[in-house]
Amino acid sequence: MKLPETIHGLLRQFDGPLTRDLIQEPGKFDLGKVPARLKPDAIQSSICGYCSTGCSLHAHLREGVAINLTPQKQYPVNTGMACPKGWEALRVLDAPNRAKTPLLRDAHGQLKPVSWDLALRTMCERFRSIQQDKGPDSLAYLSTGQITTEEMALLGAVAKFGMGIRHGDGNTRQCMATAVTAYKQSFGFDAPPYTYRDFEESDVLIFVGANPCIAHPIMWQRVMRNRRNPAIVVIDPRRTETAVAASHHYALKPKSDLVLFYTIAHLLCQQDALDHAFIEAHTEDFSAFRSFVSAYPLERGSQETRLSPEQIQTLTALIGCGRRVSFWWTMGVNQSHEGTRLAQSLINLALMTGNIGKPGTGANSITGQCNAMGSRLFSNTTNLLGGHSFQNPGHRTKISRILNIPESCIPEVDSWAYDQIIDGIQDNKVKGLWVIATNPAHSWINQNRLASIRKQLDFLVVQDMYADTESAQLADLVLPAAGWGEKEGTFINSERRIGVVRKVRRPPGQAMADFDIFKLVAHYWGCADLFQKWELPSDVFNSLKSLTSGQACDISGITDYGFIERSGGIQWPYRNEELDAGTERRLFSDGHFFHPDGKARFIFEEPRPTEESPDPQYPLWLLTGRGTSSQWHTQTRTRHSDVLRKLYPVSCYIEIHPEDAANRNIQAGESVMVQSRRGKIRAQACITPSVPPGSVFLPMHYAEINQLTLDQFDPYSRQPSFKACAVTIAKTFS
Amino acid sequence: MHTASPVKQDHSGLIVEQSPIDQFLASQQTLQTPVAIFAREHESLLVREQESYQSLIPLTLPEAGRQYAFEVDLDRCTGCKACVAGCHSLNGLEEDETWRDVGVIQGVNPQGAYIQTVTTACHHCADPACLNGCPVLAYDKDPVTGIVRHLDDQCIGCQYCVLKCPYEVPKYNEKLGIVRKCDMCQSRLAEGEAPACVQACPTEAIRITTVDIPDRETVPAFLPASPEPSYTLPTTQYVSKKTIPDNVAAGDLHFPRVEHAHYPLVFMLTLTQAGIGGLLAAAFSSLSQQAEVPTVTSAICLSFLMLGLGCSILHLGRPLGAWRAFLGLKKSWLSREIVAFGIFAPAAILFTAQQWFGVLPDNLNVSLTLLTALLGLTAGFTSVMIYVDTQRHNWRLTITMSEFGMTILNVGMGMLTLSLWLSSSAFDASGAVWLSIAALAFLLNIRRSALRSGTSPDAQRSQLLQGPLRQRNQIRLALGIISIGCLTIGLLWQPWFIIPAIITAILGEGIGRALYFQSVIAPKMPGSFRQ
Repeated sequence: MKLPETIHGLLRQFDGPLTRDLIQEPGKFDLGKVPARLKPDAIQSSICGYCSTGCSLHAHLREGVAINLTPQKQYPVNTGMACPKGWEALRVLDAPNRAKTPLLRDAHGQLKPVSWDLALRTMCERFRSIQQDKGPDSLAYLSTGQITTEEMALLGAVAKFGMGIRHGDGNTRQCMATAVTAYKQSFGFDAPPYTYRDFEESDVLIFVGANPCIAHPIMWQRVMRNRRNPAIVVIDPRRTETAVAASHHYALKPKSDLVLFYTIAHLLCQQDALDHAFIEAHTEDFSAFRSFVSAYPLERGSQETRLSPEQIQTLTALIGCGRRVSFWWTMGVNQSHEGTRLAQSLINLALMTGNIGKPGTGANSITGQCNAMGSRLFSNTTNLLGGHSFQNPGHRTKISRILNIPESCIPEVDSWAYDQIIDGIQDNKVKGLWVIATNPAHSWINQNRLASIRKQLDFLVVQDMYADTESAQLADLVLPAAGWGEKEGTFINSERRIGVVRKVRRPPGQAMADFDIFKLVAHYWGCADLFQKWELPSDVFNSLKSLTSGQACDISGITDYGFIERSGGIQWPYRNEELDAGTERRLFSDGHFFHPDGKARFIFEEPRPTEESPDPQYPLWLLTGRGTSSQWHTQTRTRHSDVLRKLYPVSCYIEIHPEDAANRNIQAGESVMVQSRRGKIRAQACITPSVPPGSVFLPMHYAEINQLTLDQFDPYSRQPSFKACAVTIAKTFS
Repeated sequence: MHTASPVKQDHSGLIVEQSPIDQFLASQQTLQTPVAIFAREHESLLVREQESYQSLIPLTLPEAGRQYAFEVDLDRCTGCKACVAGCHSLNGLEEDETWRDVGVIQGVNPQGAYIQTVTTACHHCADPACLNGCPVLAYDKDPVTGIVRHLDDQCIGCQYCVLKCPYEVPKYNEKLGIVRKCDMCQSRLAEGEAPACVQACPTEAIRITTVDIPDRETVPAFLPASPEPSYTLPTTQYVSKKTIPDNVAAGDLHFPRVEHAHYPLVFMLTLTQAGIGGLLAAAFSSLSQQAEVPTVTSAICLSFLMLGLGCSILHLGRPLGAWRAFLGLKKSWLSREIVAFGIFAPAAILFTAQQWFGVLPDNLNVSLTLLTALLGLTAGFTSVMIYVDTQRHNWRLTITMSEFGMTILNVGMGMLTLSLWLSSSAFDASGAVWLSIAALAFLLNIRRSALRSGTSPDAQRSQLLQGPLRQRNQIRLALGIISIGCLTIGLLWQPWFIIPAIITAILGEGIGRALYFQSVIAPKMPGSFRQ
């Protein structure tokens, strides 16, 4: 249409208010162009509050309040990237169902808003009377890997040193306990040895029970940046996104992994693909290990794993011949009935081939939650603060001296683990429970059992950002907490990097930072004097620094939060600039481990069958795991972002192999019944060859799935085995 | 953080200590002084970061015959969906608005399961269906870059582009009343910055390249299990070193979804078609002079028509711009429909006035009647073509023609029968014809909604009609039966039963029109069951 320009302008509007709604302007602060509507006047970095990757996000501030967010470009972890959860981290703070006042269950059983004063008085009165009646085992707390290190430490100190609560554990029991135990036993300290650069510097990357493409996308970024043309091996029964992206996928039979790694160890011995010098100088017990694995010839390995002999030989050759071999594991290993030995079977492979302490190597546990690593060192649950032991008198004296807390306040015994606390409720030993930033009513294994013993608790306190979590709904008292972005402190990521989280939003209503809630509880309990010098999170951080001096996790050289931010995060140990220089550091480059003799241990044990495996009545393995990168755990946060909600299925679905579906005449998309000995649920059938025949997969994010799971535990780490039980599926409920 | 004073003055001026709870609550509302990180500090880094994107965007404008395009390296896409969220935040979209999507294609190859995640956004087509369908020319294909841009202030919110695009790209924004879409971050590209999705992808799976503009003779290969590329000539390049098996299918293939009902359009189509049918009947009566055309029936039909046209305005997000609707006449059937109805409506008013007042001489009356009938048929035909032109299989010419045509015939015959009855003429013949038309329409509906297995669009449509839309479909069929029953009673015993027969026929056609929209299988890029 050729018209004079004026008429043309009248007929076609290239500009106007709607067009300008999306106009972009240079955002300054190295942000590139940003929507003009959302142009910041300042930016503030803060470590993401979801997973353990520990990405740094730039909050775009206007008058101190975050209005938008982008991943930080110049940060060694994520170099300008984030997964959808990170991008949407601010959105979930605006949810309408945020807990805004304390809620107390009234005489009619309804949760009703009450004042903080009444809430805290009630909590302390009820807990104190339980403790007086039933003794020191009667109170317990369940904490989290989602709050800051300072908050964890304050909680652990207030609860154990101040209130005399003997038993505390965290949801980290569900994700990291196995790696902790394995490292402690093998290396002498809970010390994941790697730095993310190892993803880029490895020639053979072996992922066991890990799906980083979905669970840790920003770590996968580092794998994709590897310019060494590496072999990428995925060992997983499912053809996961990571298995698809890998160069080698070994879909072994569920729960046959320990046999596989012992077989490979045996073959490596046979082929003498060993680093004798390293074994001799830096390890103990290799000869016993060598003779132990001689009972695992190739035929046995092949038979029990259902991998072909050629597949196992190829895998052995990759490990034996690779120059830099790294082993990476996540929940497929940790959440196993023999997880500790399984993790150690990978540690053993790294030790015997000398693949540790050098670039691109290591036996590397990828952590789950944003601050699981902070919890491992500073939650005062399994360990005494700073990686110390409750049972060690010297450690107790040291802590007492540094914190200026009477030694008599420090328990001499270890806490019960999560499952033992649950058992304690069932046995009427634990009568008062305080749950902080976790959702056991959804996430704990064999959920129906937990639901059935809830009434045996005299008083249940749930402290959370949201008032409508499955656990908050069961509570006698709900304490409204500020969330990520509404408070400050530090997290420690998977590669031991300490990063700072900052306050860039105001919490809604009367919600308070967990730190302040713990301070108030101490005040109402009457033990606030013990923690007087901990006025701010930074005060706690200073104490924690002192506590670590002389430990493997020594961070006494860090000055303050600003120093951490300027350094791009700091990996532990950090004693001083001379000893610990560099932004990407790995452990054990000197071959010195943390056992008193400086040597690592080969630890091994005969594999055991699971308590339950498929049989004619329940013929299918139930595998569980993460569904999508836009879902986080029990979804209390991620379900509040419209964008994230678009990226995952609203209701529970089950992945079924086409053969299994055909045998049961199940059509794609239809609702099917899934039943185990413990419960039955409905799920929509998704027929896909990504699961092997004889196995089905359920994503862990839907509340109902833990009605099916079997509560069995690794005996050393007490971590639940979420990924193996037997189920049956059918078109309708019987 | 805890800067609140520990003391405060009470109302009597006495200094009292503030409770710890008050102190803490006050400190929650205190924000830290923002630590502004100034650009100067990062100048060197800025250069480095820009450089790192340089390999992902073209450094020069396309030459003649070429344009910018997205290139997706499937081997690097792992389905993390950061592109979706990054696009959302960096473009400042509404809370629930997303311009990118990630789906899955899956199949089986000799190595085992083949599963591939696929990121997708606007394909900046060489022959964009959105642009061709827009009645107000609110789309512009940049002559240099080839970027298909939406002119937000030109848009009237008719959403025809949403129906036209086979890739679900234009997204209607209820709040703003317009459609918006990906513009390849053209303002970023113009200054050497990478588009949001390119910046956000952790694995560098998305880049901008320059490609030869495809034409119908050289339709380039496109992603398998996706809509046929010859329709719009999409320019996105999906590349992979792996062999994609022939049996590959979209992850959401087995999950047909119920589409939007577009109720204003349902009312508009049903009522205008009822009006056309009735006016045609009146014209027929008038011409054949078999009976006096009762003025009341032509008035009813005119009011159907006008009400229907009124409803069409409710469909528009920004009706004030609708005066521009003639702009798209050259290509857009929606423009043509608006113009056709714009001419038909005054003719219909004149025709009805003539029935009432009879001012025109006979010869002019015949011309006006013929003209009205012709314009009515033309307008009805443009309605049909709007949907046929979307290239949706369930809306192909034969189907849409019979759906819309049946409404016109059904109501038209009903009105004719009513006229004959009201003018005390014998209506047996017209009633019998109507009965057979109504029965035929009923049988067609049963046949089309009979459950069929398979994944063809017709089978999937039948699955929707027998699944989530079952109840509504049954009501429609029930109304058909009632209408036929009433008509039979009207013919054999009680003539006034013609009235409920007409009412139920129109209601049934209305529900049918809603089902027409809801049960269509819209072509789309592969989705994921996991969504």
